[in-house]
Amino acid sequence: MADRNGSTGVPEETQNLMPNENAPSESDVSLDLLAQKVQESLALGNRHKFWETQPVGQFKDIGDTSLPEGPIEPPTPISEVKQEPYNLPNLYEWVTCDIDSEEMCAEVYNLLTNNYVEDDENMFRFNYSKEFLRWALRPPGYFKSWHIGVRVKSSKKLVAFITGVPARIRVRDNVVTMAEVNFLCVHKKLRSKRLAPVMIKEVTRRVHLENIWQAAYTAGVVLPTPVSTCQYWHRSLNPKKLIDVGFSRLGARMTMSRTIKLYKLPESTVTPGFRKMEPHDVPAVTRLLREYLSQFAIAPDFDENDVEHWLLPKENVVDSFLVASPETHEITDFCSFYTLPSSILGNPNYSTLKAAYSYYNVSTKTPLLQLMNDALIVAKQKDFDVFNALDVMQNESFLKELKFGPGDGKLHYYLYNYRIRQAVLASELGLVLL
Amino acid sequence: MSDWQPLLQSILIGLLFSYLVAKLISVVLSFKEENLSITRSNNNNYNEPKRTKDDVVVAAPNPRGPEADSGRPHDTESMIAEQGSVRNEESLPCSDVDSDGDDDWEGVESTELDEMFSAATAFVAASAAASSQKVSNDVQLQLYALYKIATEGPCSAPQPSALKMTARAKWQAWQKLGAMPPEEAMQKYIDIVTELYPTWAAGSSLKSKRGQEDAASTDSKAPMGPVFSSFAYEEESGNDLKMDAIHAFAREGDMDNLLKCIENGVSVNLRDSEGRAPLHWAVDRGHLNISELLVSKNADVNAKDNEGQTPLHYAVVCDREAIAQFLVKQNADIGMKDNDGNSPCHVCESDWPWMLHAAKGTD
Repeated sequence: MADRNGSTGVPEETQNLMPNENAPSESDVSLDLLAQKVQESLALGNRHKFWETQPVGQFKDIGDTSLPEGPIEPPTPISEVKQEPYNLPNLYEWVTCDIDSEEMCAEVYNLLTNNYVEDDENMFRFNYSKEFLRWALRPPGYFKSWHIGVRVKSSKKLVAFITGVPARIRVRDNVVTMAEVNFLCVHKKLRSKRLAPVMIKEVTRRVHLENIWQAAYTAGVVLPTPVSTCQYWHRSLNPKKLIDVGFSRLGARMTMSRTIKLYKLPESTVTPGFRKMEPHDVPAVTRLLREYLSQFAIAPDFDENDVEHWLLPKENVVDSFLVASPETHEITDFCSFYTLPSSILGNPNYSTLKAAYSYYNVSTKTPLLQLMNDALIVAKQKDFDVFNALDVMQNESFLKELKFGPGDGKLHYYLYNYRIRQAVLASELGLVLL
Repeated sequence: MSDWQPLLQSILIGLLFSYLVAKLISVVLSFKEENLSITRSNNNNYNEPKRTKDDVVVAAPNPRGPEADSGRPHDTESMIAEQGSVRNEESLPCSDVDSDGDDDWEGVESTELDEMFSAATAFVAASAAASSQKVSNDVQLQLYALYKIATEGPCSAPQPSALKMTARAKWQAWQKLGAMPPEEAMQKYIDIVTELYPTWAAGSSLKSKRGQEDAASTDSKAPMGPVFSSFAYEEESGNDLKMDAIHAFAREGDMDNLLKCIENGVSVNLRDSEGRAPLHWAVDRGHLNISELLVSKNADVNAKDNEGQTPLHYAVVCDREAIAQFLVKQNADIGMKDNDGNSPCHVCESDWPWMLHAAKGTD
């Protein structure tokens, strides 16, 4: 009883514990809450209060093979979706961010540039460019209402941001329209105000209003419950700079001279017919990619519009190359990477780390190893400092051989309101979120 | 077939009945657990609209926002709005004006009160889990209500159904505080916690030192989104390089110890197991001053390592122009070939005019 009493006064966000007013019947909720509180007081598992209330795979269900794969909760009629935005602390207000507007885009850019994800040692911070944000937030069929900001009422300063974009994602045999949720950012000075849960709920509400009931997202932390866990790998292109800025370390017994020689790449690509992707390649690349991605358990269901948007090269945003047979002009292989620089914090000599992130790669004729080596060569030509890749899809087959080194970052993938019986291996994952 | 109907009916009735019984039991149980007096609950349940109104007007004398008391106590929305605007005008700019050149932080940034409040809530959460001390329900409800005011402002949520005792009691406690300013609520919350656990702040200030580091690291771990990864630090292994102290001092740029070594008679041209002299290490790590010192102590500028590379090879590969230029001035040979047949001049990718000049000179 004391436990029960003790937790009643805990200033947990009881309101947040029931985000869906239309969720289960009240008696169920109170019984569940009771059970939950008891569990919490027994264990120290106080950390996922928020996620335990959400329709996501729960830790307690891990290994329970009796639960069916698929949506956890059925869709509700749209008329029953909460029509008004969630309450914010009263100094703040919601704003829908029109990313087409130069002014708004600059505000979002500034918020993220100064407050978005950093490494554990706070030496680097992601610096997504404005062009990148416009690309990432306006795929085919995007909803403006899913680009959500929080302003200070008085000053109108943008202090928090979260977004969703629609995507068709295949989970095993089912293609599900989902929201890819990303760019959750709360201003550094407001981190004690617990804005994140209400932002997640608000984006969820707006996704529901479009009759979409599933979402995909990633996180560096373990939440209930990852559908897959991947690791980042890094390939030095400019080792001296990476060492100087602290991205990598030079071992005491290793020389800079030898390190530089180790990562040296040829001046030009080696595969005949290797060239930049062009607009007329969209149909062929779409066919190639669809065929290739069909082997993975979770992968996007790209059509030509998606390929045109996500994979046609965009200066300083996304680069794509393919191999066209010099004789038949048939397109046999494809590789791509996106440009995500980071600010280097507090280094007198360098301010920006230019990183390429492996995106979607398909090899049918050219060995993947050779294809990716050519990708490294063009990335080096384009003056990238490092080439990053997750161990998703078939990437593991080239990482070590092409001198990628393991990173300290684990990336967990999650699905919202979609249960899969068992987490999939990184190599069964065909999805890259930005 | 028609036999099914009565059966179905009785099953349905049975289900309905057992549901009601279960509900009754759960209600009774929750009463017991809450230790809430039945009379008060009843009161709340049945005199709801009136009480709410009274509570707003009477129980929330609000020095800061007289608007809240006047006019239409029903119109919670506009009250909140007014309250908000009053607060905005009144909230004072906070002490630290430093940092990233951001202006207009008035009323936005986390104040000391915010942080104190956060610490107090964290403490309550932790101590409630440990539950060594029993706190009365009234106090708990009060803490809850103050917390809601501090974090969400005045209660505008719809009233929970009468059957949900706990939720109802919480809602009422929140509602009762009316339009209390968040700062006041935070302060009262802290006061109550301090009264209950006089030593909490001591415990948590100890923590907060550590907590700041924690905060920094949790800050970087966003609740959602991508991850910034850099090379995992790997202990070197399988490298059977043998080197002496003088090489390490040259590598680290440790001039004092390097001098001591030389004074103690260690050769400036001592080789490590890869054939590198201290000058190779100093050049590799970019220490111009150490390189100058070694050369002034008669280090061999054209010393070759096991691969036939001179310090100038190292300077060129590592793109260290000042050191390379210094070495060339000290008669380092730009045409000296390593075991692969490459000279410093040959491996030089940088556009160094003095190197071209020197190359022409030797031709």
